[in-house]
Amino acid sequence: MMDVKRIISKIEKDYIISNLRKEERIDNRGLWEYREFRIKSDIISSAEGSADVSLGDTRIITGLKYEVGEPFPDLPNEGVCTVMAELLPIASPLFERGPPDEQSIELARVVDRGIRHADCVQTKKLCIKENEAVYILFVDMYVINYDGNLIDAGGVSALTTLISAHIPEGIMGDNGLEWTGKYLTGEIIVNELPLVLTYGKIDDIIFLDPSLPEELVCDGKISISATEDKITSIQKSGAATFSIDEIKMLGNKTLEIGSKLRKKLNLLQYLSKIE
Amino acid sequence: MPLIIKDEYPETLFREDGKRLDGRDNNELRPIKMEVGIIKNADGSAYLEWGNNKIFAAVYGPREVHPHHLAKPDKGILRVFYRMATFSVFDRKRPAPGRREKEISMIVADCLEPVLFLELYPGTSFEVFIEVMDADGGTRCASITVAALALADAGIPMKSLVSAIAVGKIDGKKVIDLSGIEDKAGEADLPIAITWYNEEISLLQFDGDMDLNEMNEFLDLAKEFLKSIHNIQLDTLKSKYIKLQEKTSKNKKDEDKKGDK
Repeated sequence: MMDVKRIISKIEKDYIISNLRKEERIDNRGLWEYREFRIKSDIISSAEGSADVSLGDTRIITGLKYEVGEPFPDLPNEGVCTVMAELLPIASPLFERGPPDEQSIELARVVDRGIRHADCVQTKKLCIKENEAVYILFVDMYVINYDGNLIDAGGVSALTTLISAHIPEGIMGDNGLEWTGKYLTGEIIVNELPLVLTYGKIDDIIFLDPSLPEELVCDGKISISATEDKITSIQKSGAATFSIDEIKMLGNKTLEIGSKLRKKLNLLQYLSKIE
Repeated sequence: MPLIIKDEYPETLFREDGKRLDGRDNNELRPIKMEVGIIKNADGSAYLEWGNNKIFAAVYGPREVHPHHLAKPDKGILRVFYRMATFSVFDRKRPAPGRREKEISMIVADCLEPVLFLELYPGTSFEVFIEVMDADGGTRCASITVAALALADAGIPMKSLVSAIAVGKIDGKKVIDLSGIEDKAGEADLPIAITWYNEEISLLQFDGDMDLNEMNEFLDLAKEFLKSIHNIQLDTLKSKYIKLQEKTSKNKKDEDKKGDK
């Protein structure tokens, strides 16, 4: 068993901070370096799209399900995409079973907003008949192991799931809903590829992708979602404060690192091969 | 990837060549893959792929009991929480645990408890969390099998492992290891688990109809295949330590080489 604690000893905290001051991390990473991403797609046969994403020892499995329902009255020709997250009690002794707590709601909300505001999911393509029937997509994330930075792992996991989508295509015929036998794939429904990057802050030191011990000692975090050229959502959490210059700097860093990561992960390779 | 759009039952559960819909013979198990120690944060963990079923189990304990009043002064308690992911079934499952999940949690706990020495751990609890990520029939049997592995991986003293399998009747024929569609459309389903230290049955449920002769045959059939499940469990546990041994002996060799220089 790994040593998982809610509280970290003073000596361990001092060690982490003194290393960070020398621009070193306890796991030998640089300040702006990610742990390794490992991605598998379409692993769940019951889901219409799925992904198994590990970031270091943090692991999240995400699946896509759909329902056909009525559209919102103010968006009569648009489908809906919702994101849910569950911190499973298998993942850490810190997680308790029961209804979603603040941490899992924040995870789902930040990932959801990153996707929603980036024009990622083409909701108009999810319309079957205006005012009557649209697809409602459920992107459900399950945390299998927790070793810090759930948000970035969750962002990649949710995006890969949408890319791997294969949803049966329906049309509204005279006798109600009919299936055409074809599929709506990620190629049709996914447009932009937003990535969310999370930075931790201790004193005046900022670093990318906090691991669990770093997350436990840091004053606060900031998560920035971006597409290739635009920032699409920001979430500051924890008790840290960020100067305006720091935020400007992180905006630049996010576009720069995000662009490199997007190329490296090459998520479009996970498009569903189904016809 | 299933092409099923509507949840409809096929007319027959056998193909023209006499095999089952997934190409198996009547007495053939689905492919089974097990792994232990895959969740680093847990005291013990296991992962099982059984056909399309994909199940994680993790054990935490012995640890303090929450809420406190559940603690027993003379022995430890075993609590099992079986849950299914929303995307593990054809129609999206609601996220909150339902009656079926609570019942299965209970029967899995009852099934595993006989092999533990709970009297050695007064005032504490063992918690077993079972998360079904993908389901295709027989998840309760698979859950018992993987939970027993996770308990063993946690190093908790056990009298023996527990193995489980379903036997049943589809289109009038006796088969083992029913898939999801066979379970729903077939006539009889009998999940059965065995505790190996006394070779007795510790889970038995039945839905369907059969006569007494059939029941006897079912029990004998199950016993035969429970043995193969048990062997896979034992091999999985051993392979973890063989890997560890190889790793340490390799490290030792490397050190020896360094020493020679």
